Amino acid sequence: MTSLVTASNVSKHFGKVRAVDDVSFEIEKGRIMGLFGPNGAGKTTLLKALLGLTDCEGQLSVLGLDPFKQRKELMQNICFIADVAVLPGWIKVTQLLDFTEATHPNFSRAHAEEFLSRTKVRPDARVRELSKGMIAQLHLSIIMSIDAKLLVLDEPTLGLDPIFRKEFYSNLLNDYFDGERTILITTHQVEEIENILTDIMFINDGRLLLDTTMESLPELFAELMTSGENAEKARRMNPIYERDVFGKKVMTFENVDKEHLAALGEVHTPSVVDLFVAKVKGAAA
Amino acid sequence: MIKHQFALVKREVWEHRSLYITPAVVGLVLVLAVLTAFVFASGYQEIVDIGIVGAQNIAGDAERRAAMFALLMGNTAPFLFAGAILTIFYCLDSLYAERKNKSILFWRSLPITDAETVISKFLTAAVAIPVIGLAVIIVTHLVVLLFTSIYVSLQGGSSVFLIWKSAPFFDVWAGMLVFMLLLPIWFSPFIGWFLFVSAWTKRSPLLMAFLPLVIVPTLEYWILRTHLIWDAIQTRFEQLPMFKGIDPERLFDDHEFIADAELVSLIGYIDIGKFFTSPAMWAGVIVCGLFLTAAIYVRRYRDDS
Repeated sequence: MTSLVTASNVSKHFGKVRAVDDVSFEIEKGRIMGLFGPNGAGKTTLLKALLGLTDCEGQLSVLGLDPFKQRKELMQNICFIADVAVLPGWIKVTQLLDFTEATHPNFSRAHAEEFLSRTKVRPDARVRELSKGMIAQLHLSIIMSIDAKLLVLDEPTLGLDPIFRKEFYSNLLNDYFDGERTILITTHQVEEIENILTDIMFINDGRLLLDTTMESLPELFAELMTSGENAEKARRMNPIYERDVFGKKVMTFENVDKEHLAALGEVHTPSVVDLFVAKVKGAAA
Repeated sequence: MIKHQFALVKREVWEHRSLYITPAVVGLVLVLAVLTAFVFASGYQEIVDIGIVGAQNIAGDAERRAAMFALLMGNTAPFLFAGAILTIFYCLDSLYAERKNKSILFWRSLPITDAETVISKFLTAAVAIPVIGLAVIIVTHLVVLLFTSIYVSLQGGSSVFLIWKSAPFFDVWAGMLVFMLLLPIWFSPFIGWFLFVSAWTKRSPLLMAFLPLVIVPTLEYWILRTHLIWDAIQTRFEQLPMFKGIDPERLFDDHEFIADAELVSLIGYIDIGKFFTSPAMWAGVIVCGLFLTAAIYVRRYRDDS
């Protein structure tokens, strides 16, 4: 497999604050990577470094290019949605298509128009006249009509209602993702996308807490629901995190013998959200 | 590159509708003013007979040409004033608004360099604003002259003879084109400065643009007891190296204006050679280049979103 993104020892600090602290990872072609982290964890800074919007220390290569120095070349093969609100309010839908067509060599206007015709977005409308959901559809229709090798989505569905959010991701999967393209996505709505991801990364305080494939989660992690004496025994096996649910103890374990655990209670694979909380809170404890 | 610039400048016109609304409003006001003047004038027919446009008794070709020249130029000056203000506001907004409304993140997601973007904003100020302005000026001239023709005809004069054959259209329009394209080059240090402020300031670009123009020369005088910066700003407004010297003796004879077709010409006075060999002009272009470079650098490196 070929690596689309290679980061080694990437750091970025603002004054004394280390927004990204010595992070190394790879993203391979054809993967859908979810990047999760609490607010202020360094997600956006890391994405900005990947997109060449900010410089950083360490080695960073995206599609074999230095993102900061070769941003123009990079942007021909990379797309990103930074936030739903970034399309300027004054622009008309047709003007947006005209402009993108004139400046982006890999943009298919026909594709974008076809996609838009399935929405309520009128071609002569200005962005400021559209609802938040329609702006997201418009932005997505442009992004999906660009033949890009890497798509970066930073909180693409922020502030949208659940219907739009579901539609957004189903469009993304059905109309865009073809196994050749690669998607990197961050969001707080982890539940909505965990079933489309192939890989996940957790970041907190600028450091990488986890970088693995979705398939390997059941091997790596286990969640035990137990109580009483068994809880005491389980606690001796060093769970990374423990919480109370309806009077029972729920413990999250990493690299643990599952058969051994099964003797102590109910064992299953933690959801990404629970794992995220366990990793972030566990690391802080 | 050129295709990009075309698209980028077009985008500026889409975004800043004031680029064509401002000259259109000026043109409309001028046309209305001329119409109002005729309405009032027609009430005092006997008195205005001595007026320039309505009078049948303007003697020579040169006098008629001079009268038309004055009419056209008089209907041009307000555009230049409005254009200067428009350029200042456009420049200050152009790299500031995109940061305020965060659309910079979308623009930067397209394969366009920061240099291309900043240059397109400069070209909009230095080329698009004058060209759009001139187009509106020409339309305004034609409309004003059309109404003048009607007025003259109603007074019993020959509008073809007095106006359409006398007005030095080509001279005024071609001269204005050259003038309006050279003027932004002469004032380019200010355009560069305004664009830089627009890219750099976090708030109130207007204040941040004009305060230093007062504070820096004041500080220079307090500390160094010199006034080089103030002189540089002042001479920019006083010594535009674009016109041939005018010899008053050729124009006036015992305080009487000598009408000479050769003299009543805008092109005749513009000296392009003088402009392009002026060290002050090139110095200004270099200063503009430095400010634009700084604006590109700030847009590229600053991360305040």
